[in-house]
Amino acid sequence: MKAYILSDMDYRTEAYTRLLSEVKEALRCFEIEEKPIGRGDIHYCVGCFGCWVKTPGECLIKDDIANINRKMMNSDVVVYLVPVVFGQFSANIKYALDRWLPNMLPFFETRKDGSTTHPPRYESYPRQIMIGYGGNSDNEDAALFIDITKKHRSDVEVLIDSGVKGQVSKMFGSISLKRVCGGPL
Amino acid sequence: MKKLVIISASPKSSNDPSVSMYLARMARNRLSSLESEIINVRQALQNSVLAFETMKSADALLIIFPLYFYCLPGMLMRFLEDYAGFIGGNGNLQKVYAIVNCGFPDPEINNEAISVVKSFARHIGAEFGSGISIDSGGILLSAKDTPFVKKAIKTINEALDTIPANQPSGGVFAINVNFPKRLYFLAGNFGWRQAAKKNGLNKRELYKKPYQSNGSVR
Repeated sequence: MKAYILSDMDYRTEAYTRLLSEVKEALRCFEIEEKPIGRGDIHYCVGCFGCWVKTPGECLIKDDIANINRKMMNSDVVVYLVPVVFGQFSANIKYALDRWLPNMLPFFETRKDGSTTHPPRYESYPRQIMIGYGGNSDNEDAALFIDITKKHRSDVEVLIDSGVKGQVSKMFGSISLKRVCGGPL
Repeated sequence: MKKLVIISASPKSSNDPSVSMYLARMARNRLSSLESEIINVRQALQNSVLAFETMKSADALLIIFPLYFYCLPGMLMRFLEDYAGFIGGNGNLQKVYAIVNCGFPDPEINNEAISVVKSFARHIGAEFGSGISIDSGGILLSAKDTPFVKKAIKTINEALDTIPANQPSGGVFAINVNFPKRLYFLAGNFGWRQAAKKNGLNKRELYKKPYQSNGSVR
């Protein structure tokens, strides 16, 4: 079983160190690979849709994202340690998330709740767990982060760091850590 | 309000027409009573400090962007994170407005992105003015002479008119282009296949699974 941990090099705070340690402990039976993303490591998505209509499934920008996406898609669990900035993902994490697009198909389809989405490219995806932390975030930001991560995605788990030890292990113990069908967008 | 800085935040290259820049020019024309300047974030990232000084001197910021994965594009997050660091909490008296467009025919999908701009305003010590949430964004350019797009543009202009009036709001103007959803899907899905065909791909190749190589992706 493989786990991939994506984090933000610019926010290596005490909370980050504590959370990383707790995540590793909770995933001790997994083969773990960590991927900290720093400023300039990868380019932002330029919305060219080349990953859909030129080289389907692969981004046209040649940087580390192909490696990151391949690793993520071949993991059972992907954990994002996310600095919450203005209630959403920090820039470095968002650079990577936006470039998840090749893993989806271009077409439009309607979800059960009536909203629109793009269908999955693969039959199964890693279980994705997003753990938000951040010194400047307030309760409003935390609530917004949960909305952004959960409202439009299926099969994504989200946790806001409360600073309480054991929060991560409790959450990991309560969910399935296996790949999921369809595809969380 | 005297000076408005319009921040156009489409990550697309300058060769690729963007809805955000189209809306930025439209806003500048509509709000011609104000002194205004457009900052293209893609270019401004080369020299952010210059852009930040311009933003700091404005009475209001109007941030225009496409929705990327239900929130702000990474490029815009980088720019706003850095601006927040530059200005600290000294954005007093500034007002912040937002226009978001998404590629889906559901304007409410933009709501969380507008809340992110509200949070940004709060963190820099500014005040959130209002948001304009537009669905089916691509249609604004590709079908701009059709009655439903003209109607949407009229509504966007009416929402823009509230900016110089400095009306207390905090609300969101939801602009539904009202293009039939079924037709939007058909045209969109056909468009993707045609674009792939132009690039020499057949229909089957659109469904490639390049990361399935080691067998563990099922």
